Amino acid sequence: MQRIEALYGRLLTALALAACGLLFLMMIMICVDVLLRNVALLPHVRGLAWADEASEYILYLVTMLAAPWLLREGRHIRVDIVLRALPARLGWYLEWFSDALACVCCVAMVAYGTKAAYASYASHALTIKTLVTPEWWSLAPLPVAFLLLGIEVLFRMVRLAQGERAPRGDAVAAH
Amino acid sequence: MSWQAASWLLLGGSTLLLLAGLPVAFSFLAINLIGAGLFLGGSPGLVQLARNCVDSVASFSLTPIPLFVLMGEVLFHTGLAVKVIDAVERLITRVPGRLAVVAVVAGTIFSAVSGSTIAITAMLGSLMVPLMIARGYHPVMATGPIMAVGALDMLMPVSALAVLLGSLSGISIPKLLIGGFVPGMVLKAIFVVYIVLRVKMNPLLAPATSLPAHRGWERIRPLVMYVIPILSIFFVVVASMSAGWATPTESAAVGAFATVVLALAYRALTRERLLAALRGTMSISGMILFIIVGATTFSQILSFSGASDGLVSMITGHNLSRDEIVAGMMLVLIFLGVFVDQVSMMLITLPIFMPVVHKFGIDGVWFGVMFLICMQLGLLLPPHGLLLMTMKGVAPPEVRMSHIFRAVVPYVALSLAMLALVFFVPAVAVWLPSVLG
Repeated sequence: MQRIEALYGRLLTALALAACGLLFLMMIMICVDVLLRNVALLPHVRGLAWADEASEYILYLVTMLAAPWLLREGRHIRVDIVLRALPARLGWYLEWFSDALACVCCVAMVAYGTKAAYASYASHALTIKTLVTPEWWSLAPLPVAFLLLGIEVLFRMVRLAQGERAPRGDAVAAH
Repeated sequence: MSWQAASWLLLGGSTLLLLAGLPVAFSFLAINLIGAGLFLGGSPGLVQLARNCVDSVASFSLTPIPLFVLMGEVLFHTGLAVKVIDAVERLITRVPGRLAVVAVVAGTIFSAVSGSTIAITAMLGSLMVPLMIARGYHPVMATGPIMAVGALDMLMPVSALAVLLGSLSGISIPKLLIGGFVPGMVLKAIFVVYIVLRVKMNPLLAPATSLPAHRGWERIRPLVMYVIPILSIFFVVVASMSAGWATPTESAAVGAFATVVLALAYRALTRERLLAALRGTMSISGMILFIIVGATTFSQILSFSGASDGLVSMITGHNLSRDEIVAGMMLVLIFLGVFVDQVSMMLITLPIFMPVVHKFGIDGVWFGVMFLICMQLGLLLPPHGLLLMTMKGVAPPEVRMSHIFRAVVPYVALSLAMLALVFFVPAVAVWLPSVLG
């Protein structure tokens, strides 16, 4: 079990690294767009018309890629003022409640996210902006990300069962 | 279901889940799933919720959030921030409470190029508090100014949370970013005056120490070499925005790129450091963005359930004046700041507050700047203020939590005074955005 968990952790880290790469790419892409729009470097090219739209997709993808890794790292912030005030064992039970509810959320999002993506795929819906793409391309990453999150929630439950009978030390700070 | 019951379910339920320790994103998501099932027509509503989650973060107006954070992360991971502190230390010599003043000035420089309050506090706290303690500063004097200046980063133009506030509330993001500048700078100046006066009254709080023996060019060299180029990034961001070369959103990318180029020029950027900066950025902004995914349909569900209308009618039906209502909203925010984080504060209150703001014709920038000041206060309010925890995490062990609680009191009082000033003299917040268009 520990080996599977470690391997899964490596997958999540790899996804987070991909998110880092995409973020850097987005920064470069926006700057190239600004440069080409203001300086006539290339004949007949005044900016990258698709850059804004591509940035939007990247921002969405980056969020989906990083979310499961952030859960592994305990970086999804929460309010722990009550958890800390309660007896440790009660706090531990509340952690179980939280994990169970997070798990239900993930299952629901996988189910309805898949339903939305499949309906879009079946109807051949298109997203028509500067770029024309099948709509399901943007809908599909959502259920995948929640599937990964759901699996990580299960690993968290295993760690909770094996660890100290007390609340976790997850992040409470966002910025 | 009556609007009262819907309000209890949605607002009360999300608050309860937050207090139960469920991650913020999942707290809102859980309530949204229940709300979509009940108020948005069951299965179709839940499918729509999934679609909204995609649209929520696929928004160009949110791109400054990671990019502003990246600017600060590059600065901190490449060691350039240390150079800034050194430069400021060489310049400020004969001032009572010198190192505390250095912390405020260095924090001001960092806040011009970093969108992360925690990063600034952690950075200054880990570098300067041990130094101040070693030189005989009282822990209260060593920690207070750093937490105060760290919190004020939220009001400065490169602010990830101001972007989020603008995006969620519909208030103009560029005007909001610029609107916080004057109150932020005035407050920092007041902090410096307070430190100097306090140390003059009680020199034991910050004993005078021997000054570094730097003369002439040696004294100003780090300023020219590091501070001016780093501050120029801030001007690149503002100039590209004001000159119309880049949209406000794009200027964040220009600023982040300029920071990376500057770090490269100093030969301070290795692949490992860039990766560390990107990971730090993903950690902060990925979490904020995922909360937006979880909370995206919350205001829509509140509206569909009738809770928004009901609550707004209740608030506006008491024949209260515009100022009384704004004051009430600020009190709610300050109260919430004691318990919940800043993103949750926005998500819980904005669906109710913004319709009231529109109904009374309240200036959005004025309201937004006061909202930011209240959130900044929330970072400092005991017992749960996030910067208090951050400081405790990085300060030496002799700095106790009681020191940290005492340390923020004067700065909280000064921030409240600034809130009152902006409330009674709105020009403090709205003048600069109106001048810059």
